[in-house]
Amino acid sequence: MDDAIIGNLIDLCAVLMLLTSVMAVATTRMRPLIGLFSFQSVFLAVLAFIVAWSSDTPHIYIMCALTVALKVIVMPRMLIYIMSRIHVDKEVELSLGIPGSLLTSGVLIILSYYITEPMMDSIENVERNCLALSVSIILIGLLMMCTRRKAITETVGLLMMENGLFLGALALSHGMPLIVEIGAFFDVMVAVIIIGIFAYRINRSFNSVDTSFLRRLRE
Amino acid sequence: MTISLLVLLLAMAASAVLCIGMRNSKWIAAVMPACCAILLVLAVNLCVPVLNGETLDDGVFYIDSVSAIFMLLVALVGLMASIYSRAYIGLEAEEGKIRAKDMGQYYSLLIVFISVMMLTFTARSMAIVWLGIGATTLVSTFLVGFYSNEESTEAAWKYIILCSVGITIALAGYTLVYASTVGAIDQDLSLDWPALMAAADQLDPTLMKMAMVLIIVGFGTKVGLAPMHTWLPDAHSQAPSPISGLLSAVLLNCAMYGILRFYSVSEIVNPGFASAILLVFGLLSLAAAAFFIVSSRDLKRMLAYSSIENMGLIAIGLGIGSPIAIGAAIVQMAAHSVTKPILFFSAGNIVQSYGTRDMNSIRGVSKSMPFTSAALAIGTLAIVGAPPFAVFVGELSLMYASIDAGVLWVTVACVILLAIVAAGMALHIFPMLSGDPGKEIDAHASPSRHVPIAVLIACTLLLGLFMPDQVQGWLESAVDIITGASL
Repeated sequence: MDDAIIGNLIDLCAVLMLLTSVMAVATTRMRPLIGLFSFQSVFLAVLAFIVAWSSDTPHIYIMCALTVALKVIVMPRMLIYIMSRIHVDKEVELSLGIPGSLLTSGVLIILSYYITEPMMDSIENVERNCLALSVSIILIGLLMMCTRRKAITETVGLLMMENGLFLGALALSHGMPLIVEIGAFFDVMVAVIIIGIFAYRINRSFNSVDTSFLRRLRE
Repeated sequence: MTISLLVLLLAMAASAVLCIGMRNSKWIAAVMPACCAILLVLAVNLCVPVLNGETLDDGVFYIDSVSAIFMLLVALVGLMASIYSRAYIGLEAEEGKIRAKDMGQYYSLLIVFISVMMLTFTARSMAIVWLGIGATTLVSTFLVGFYSNEESTEAAWKYIILCSVGITIALAGYTLVYASTVGAIDQDLSLDWPALMAAADQLDPTLMKMAMVLIIVGFGTKVGLAPMHTWLPDAHSQAPSPISGLLSAVLLNCAMYGILRFYSVSEIVNPGFASAILLVFGLLSLAAAAFFIVSSRDLKRMLAYSSIENMGLIAIGLGIGSPIAIGAAIVQMAAHSVTKPILFFSAGNIVQSYGTRDMNSIRGVSKSMPFTSAALAIGTLAIVGAPPFAVFVGELSLMYASIDAGVLWVTVACVILLAIVAAGMALHIFPMLSGDPGKEIDAHASPSRHVPIAVLIACTLLLGLFMPDQVQGWLESAVDIITGASL
């Protein structure tokens, strides 16, 4: 395969990742949201595979395998398990409506292109779009964390941010040193487990996982 | 040297295994402080030669004067917190606020927490430092949410969510640092701090700028710099008091250490860039802390805001960026680490005896609990920068450095804000000491409450009154490392 096709394939995966993020912003139901996260991780894994294959960097295969194992299979199942344990109702509650969120996402995407513009000259092997897309996914993840009120949706926002981050790392420098990648996976994994434990505790003490009940500690 | 490090690492592993293994034994409350004492001795044994000029660098581990200072502070405050825990957690268990089996869990988490913080400072690669900082959050979340009631669950939730976001943003900064090293450093070593410093002039300046913004915002969330500080007052006020002391005195330093290392690199690549950002965040933190200290009613929340203020001062020191200012920042950090636990431990005594954290309903501490009252008064004077305590030295040299560097507006802003902080804290704390308790108060006096406070007061006095030539030398070598002068 020549470089142009590979470049297009990488761009395609990155765009699909952004698309899943935007769809996640527009989703009102919990299970499809988790489904979208695992789809996004599939695209990340495919992208990692293409990068590993085309640039002949074997350690990215490991990252690809870890993404499939943890983010496509284990974490979505874990989230669904937590959901069923705490009998959360299936609706996502929003503090910013869907049209508003989508509009904000659009603004964030434009902003990402603006932010990454000055860095373009400094980067050699970057897929130009990937960097901007990665920043967009990170920002949309942050937006989800800010505007969603359920413990689980906040977690999905965090995980999507992490996906955007790995996309950026792949685009910029063909991944990070292996220790960082494995460490980051481990860190996220443990964080999700702990978040699950605390979601369970919030549910037990407030009888809801709506984090807007968390308003006791104020000045 | 490598051997003393290996002995320390083995001791950490052994103490963790021992404490987890003994978690159901009633001896755990004595064994765990003993383990911490051993860790402190081993850390001193490792760090003193380092501070005297022998940098340990064996390819995986790297300890220089800077990391040695941070590590000694963790070991010292960790030991004090574990001794204080014996009385504090013991009483909580007696009063039925926690179950007996939670006590074992508490001590096991505590030893792991202290070990992880110490490990963070031994790494050569910044990647391991990132992992260490991430791991400290994960371990300490359970300690913050230890009481499992509504408030502490909320505090722990905010803590883990915000700090996870912070850590992720910092990692985004790491990817840019890594990208900026392409072609300059061998890719396997590219996040090793000595390698970054040695090749700093070949790093890509544009990428490093973007990276520094992300790293300062990301780690700054965990340091508690305003406006990313919102988790901090909740977590510090809801955690058990020994943990509050530990979080405030040394956990914040861990994240500051991450910023500090990249700050050194960035100041070579883009002189004046990282320092300008830190100066802004520092002044913002100082201003936010001053406002909330004056308006707070909850004793432990007020102390938490005082930590934000001190972290702000350290950031301002790095922001001014002259060698004197960086020296002042290090003194301030060490001074804060030994002073703040005095306040949190005394506050813990008061909260346990009075059953409230509301400063308006606590009166007559000097009559009911004379030792705590004296400690709180001394601690307050020390933290607001009254002579002859250590914080005074830090703040004074910071003011001197800012005048010396010609940024008078910083000096003026700091002096005004520090005066507000001092007045606010004094107005809140001193009325609690006088007056009449109004009810029968049991002081629960015991040596394990008094000894840690007394030792820390001695430390802050010692640092404030005499700065031996040797310590002066340690400080100078740390400053040389941070400014890159020793390369």
